[in-house]
Amino acid sequence: MEQQAIWAIGIFLVIYAVIISEKIHRTIVAMIGGIVMVAFGIVGQEAAIEHIDFNTLGLLIGMMIIVGVTAETGLFKYIAVIAAKKAKGEPVRILIALSAITALASAFLDNVTTVLLMVPVTFSITRQLRVDPIPFLIAQIMSSNIGGTATLIGDPPNIMIGSAVDELSFMDFIVNLAPVAAIIMAVHIPIFVFLFRKSLRTTEELKRTIMELDEKELLTDLKLLRTCLTVLTLTILGFFAHQALHLESATVALAGGFLLLLLTGEHMMEEALTKVEWTTIFFFVGLFVLVSGLVETGVISQLAAQAIEWTGGDVTAASMLILWLSAIASAFLDNIPFVATMIPMIQEMGNMGVSNLEPLWWSLALGACLGGNGTLIGASANLIVSGLSGKEGYPITFLKYSIYGFPLMILSIVISSVYIYLRYLV
Amino acid sequence: MLSYCFNEQVIQITESSDENDVQFLIKVLQKDPYVEKMQKVRRFFDDNRVYTDVLFYALADHTYKVIVRIDFYADFILELMKHRLLESVEWKSGQ
Repeated sequence: MEQQAIWAIGIFLVIYAVIISEKIHRTIVAMIGGIVMVAFGIVGQEAAIEHIDFNTLGLLIGMMIIVGVTAETGLFKYIAVIAAKKAKGEPVRILIALSAITALASAFLDNVTTVLLMVPVTFSITRQLRVDPIPFLIAQIMSSNIGGTATLIGDPPNIMIGSAVDELSFMDFIVNLAPVAAIIMAVHIPIFVFLFRKSLRTTEELKRTIMELDEKELLTDLKLLRTCLTVLTLTILGFFAHQALHLESATVALAGGFLLLLLTGEHMMEEALTKVEWTTIFFFVGLFVLVSGLVETGVISQLAAQAIEWTGGDVTAASMLILWLSAIASAFLDNIPFVATMIPMIQEMGNMGVSNLEPLWWSLALGACLGGNGTLIGASANLIVSGLSGKEGYPITFLKYSIYGFPLMILSIVISSVYIYLRYLV
Repeated sequence: MLSYCFNEQVIQITESSDENDVQFLIKVLQKDPYVEKMQKVRRFFDDNRVYTDVLFYALADHTYKVIVRIDFYADFILELMKHRLLESVEWKSGQ
């Protein structure tokens, strides 16, 4: 192995370890890692810039602008209160409704954004009913990761895979991943109800207080709401048609975001741009450059060759290895750097003669997205919800979450294994 | 302890408390401009990133049930005062 490759591996492992330790913010660490790769001459600046996937970044920025502006209208609170009223204030039905809304919203919005919208409403409804919010929050964490698996834009691993593989369109993700995500949600919801049944009790009087709520008061700006819904609908239609229109998904999302700012006026722009999670965007930038060091020095090619040797080039064995490895790794590590490393490896396996890569891509997507449910540190949404919950006096500890999360994650990967095998490998 | 006065032609406020919370039932009698002021108070607490400090529940006829965490009681009263939903606020000593 060349000296440059050894340096690249060393820098990558040190940076990865510091990211996992969470002693320093992951964005700072990833950016420093990327800068070190360039500064040591392992990858040139031009090559580093070429490795930064603008499609992933543009898609995230565009959607964050649209959701940030739409949240100002009170729409998401309105939907949650309507659901609580339809559930007649019954905690079990509200848990099911909020989980389903979270999963559906996560399919089309970023998971972190979805839980940031759902958590305040959950505190509001559970306080009114005087029930423990933790079961609702744990169910929402898991629902957001399952729902996010269903589409190209639902979860960062899918955004990265969709961006790296030109042949996979928005519709391909829905056709291939939404059915299994729906099955997993259908299996998980009764389990949530069973596990949390003792906490989901309230009085008839408190249920009536939910029915008295006037949801219309929550819609603060109807004109803005109409504009947001129009743009959101156009953007989602744009995702469905992006391949036919020969547009990248980032172009669609950014067009939607800036069309919305054009229609809402300059006063909304400053506020909307503050809603973009720039720390996440720069985390991606640093990671892309960090991984480029491994690609440019041939480390990824060697890993791919090793994987082919282990699996004997058999697609079934490779799919199962990727699915389970991704799931276990994503339960304990950040799935974004993991997927950033796996994508070039799978591409390299294609270059080395593995002809049917499709099951490998779906295995990576399912493993990385669903694996995040395994522990509290498995996905950004988990950390955000537990952080907010702890701050409000309802701590969700690593162990408390894992008792529910890990077995349910394993169940979801078993379902995914059967799905992948029956659909692509028989 | 904070004591407050309000114009009964404009707003009605009743207050009850338990171990952790103070519950307000606020009925706005004059829609303009006081409903909008009430929404500004709500928006202030919705936007401040503490989710359980002050929780608003809109009911029919411009009536609001507000659950206020005890440690945010003064903040809530002062926000009502800031938007002139209260006429006066004072610290009552010895209580």
